[in-house]
Amino acid sequence: MALQIDSHFNEKIKKWEIVLCGEVDILTAPELRAALDNNFLENAEDMLLHLDHLNYIDSTGLGVMIGAYARMQEKGKKITLLNPRENIEKLLCITSLDKIFL
Amino acid sequence: MTDLLKFSIPGKPEYVSMVRMAVSSLANSIGFDVEAIDDIKVAVSEACTNVVRHGCPGVQSYEVTCEVCKEQITILITDRAGGYDMSKYQMPNPDEPKEGGLGIFIIRALMDEVDIFSEIGAGTKIKMVKYCNCK
Repeated sequence: MALQIDSHFNEKIKKWEIVLCGEVDILTAPELRAALDNNFLENAEDMLLHLDHLNYIDSTGLGVMIGAYARMQEKGKKITLLNPRENIEKLLCITSLDKIFL
Repeated sequence: MTDLLKFSIPGKPEYVSMVRMAVSSLANSIGFDVEAIDDIKVAVSEACTNVVRHGCPGVQSYEVTCEVCKEQITILITDRAGGYDMSKYQMPNPDEPKEGGLGIFIIRALMDEVDIFSEIGAGTKIKMVKYCNCK
């Protein structure tokens, strides 16, 4: 299954809202990296990633988020994951990334 | 009774999802529960991703072998992609998260048994086992 990324900047709360749908793996992770980088380049603000419709992620996708987190942290901004499914939340807990993303 | 299934997979990113679909379908047919199927799916995908990402240019394919019986599934992923030095592997540090190095850590966390054999200049074998609490 491919990955769909829908990004828009919410002017009211001054944050990016990004909806991910599908799967993030070695094939689709570069699309996610490009989307997060482009958003931050356009407007260096916090990002909210809505994961309600994300079925699958692995270390490649988590790596992309860690990279984005590091770049954003330099400018005092953060990335937050919202509503991950059980399988994704389990991976975040195993890797202790729940502490920085949830 | 044990059944053996073998797949030969081109070392390209676009085939990794096919492997995890096939193996999760197999785990489902054996009777694994949803959580265990998800664990197997991620572990297999991580192992395949390692081959595709760290493999040598020119390596055309790798093999995924599944040994299935009522009690467990054993998955062996074998490549001839040059191997790597296992002693240089560093466990991820939760206080300083890095982009790489999570794959092996995740495989070990999700599967019941994991053995990795790597020979520099040759290739790598990852053997992983998941036990089934099937009724």
